[in-house]
Amino acid sequence: MLSANSSRSLSINTLKSAQPVKRNQRLAGHGFVLICLGAWAVFSATVDSYVMPGPWLVAERLIALLRDSHEASHMLYSFMHVTVAVAISFVIGSALAMLAQYAGLFRLAVHGRISPFLNSFSGVGWTFLAIIWFGISDMTVIFVISMVLIPFAIINMREGLENLDSERIEMAESFTRSRWRRFCLIVLPSLTPFIFATIRISFGVAWKVALTAELFGGDAGLGYLLNLARQDFDMPLVIGVIVIIVTFVFLTERLIFQPLQSRLSRHHAHA
Amino acid sequence: MPDANTSSRLRGHLASHGIAEGLIIVVLLGWHLLSLGMPDFVLPGPLPVAIRILELFTDATYFVHVASSAVRVVLAVLMAVALGSLLAFLPRWLPITEIIVHGRIKPLLNAFPSVGWAILAIIWFGPSNGTIVFIMIMILTPFCLVNVSEGLKEIDAETIEMARSFTRRRMVVLFKIILPLLMPYFVSALRIAYGVGWKIALVAELFGAQGGLGFLLQEAQGLADATTVFATCFAIVAIFWIGEKLIIDPLARRFTRQRIA
Repeated sequence: MLSANSSRSLSINTLKSAQPVKRNQRLAGHGFVLICLGAWAVFSATVDSYVMPGPWLVAERLIALLRDSHEASHMLYSFMHVTVAVAISFVIGSALAMLAQYAGLFRLAVHGRISPFLNSFSGVGWTFLAIIWFGISDMTVIFVISMVLIPFAIINMREGLENLDSERIEMAESFTRSRWRRFCLIVLPSLTPFIFATIRISFGVAWKVALTAELFGGDAGLGYLLNLARQDFDMPLVIGVIVIIVTFVFLTERLIFQPLQSRLSRHHAHA
Repeated sequence: MPDANTSSRLRGHLASHGIAEGLIIVVLLGWHLLSLGMPDFVLPGPLPVAIRILELFTDATYFVHVASSAVRVVLAVLMAVALGSLLAFLPRWLPITEIIVHGRIKPLLNAFPSVGWAILAIIWFGPSNGTIVFIMIMILTPFCLVNVSEGLKEIDAETIEMARSFTRRRMVVLFKIILPLLMPYFVSALRIAYGVGWKIALVAELFGAQGGLGFLLQEAQGLADATTVFATCFAIVAIFWIGEKLIIDPLARRFTRQRIA
């Protein structure tokens, strides 16, 4: 399942994962996956398939899911929910972080009140409130994911804004008096790694929240599918959906975010 | 002119507090006005919600739920920190497990959806206290693992070398050097696990728990009792905040000071 790649998924220092890792460590990694799959197969043979279906049953169900256009469309719905929510929360979170940064009076209100409050408010809480307000709909799901993601966006963008090089800003001020030009040419490029980290973290969190939100408050998406599977005791489908989520998070991390981030940090290393 | 400086800083301090506290008052007022025109099952006013929050802590029938959630969260957090640390230490003792832990277990646990654990555990073990704690441990462990292994990475190889030159007993090195240096990371693992723990306690309890705030939330939602839904959400924010101020912050202060000294 996760055997294709060997280096760390969330490690910040990309340098380290580029180092050649010892061969037997990698072998041990592959062996571990095989042992786990083997143990799963043996265990599933001893219990009923509605308790624990074997790897084969799950794989068959997954293929059936991907072939069935109706079931597969739930993946698109989830993708839509996640993307829209990441965009909304990014805009709101950055706006709040900038408000705190550039209008110092609001700093306590944003970082001392709004951000900790949102941060400690449970996603399930938002889900149940949103169901009361918007009913079972896409709106509910997007609202819940956005509310959960906003504090992540505030915290990450704050980090970026506070790390801006004040000398570089000063230099920019000596070149132009147009705030807009300074913002576009100096501030925004300096913020790029942080914008990137924000979107990356948001994306990872969003998938997990999306599942909860869709399960209780959605009428489409992988979470909804999971709920149907649970009610029908369709265990191969339950595990199949989990496999899809895990694979998707893992692949976007490995194939999109890590390469982009290492390119970005290389670009900014000699800036 | 130090005087003018301090007074202007004081004024700025007051103004930012004014805005922060003003914001809360404005939100509460807006909520109150909005709730006047709406039925109670859509948007209850702040006052009934505040009374219900108080009842959550004073009324025995409600407090049982708060207490059972709290016990589960504390148990799960402690066990997750222990399990996460164990996994983080494993590659140090057995270097061959490096990829097993960081390339297999960590990404899997990190990407595993919490509802997934909830559904699987309920089907495997049936609804019980142990099941709920299991769900929470599985969700919290990756956070602890990431934090503690981050700490292990930061430990200076030269410090360890120095320690080795003083003693050859690995236990002494572990207890006198490695664990004290890791304390700040344990505390931050504890802080994150505690914060996440309260939020996911609800998810874990939604599927078939016999008590706890998640059970209360679901029951309230079924009865269209929006007041209790609101109160439960705010109660969690409050409990989380109190726990952080009373337990986590003092711990963090103590261990970061020790580290500097």
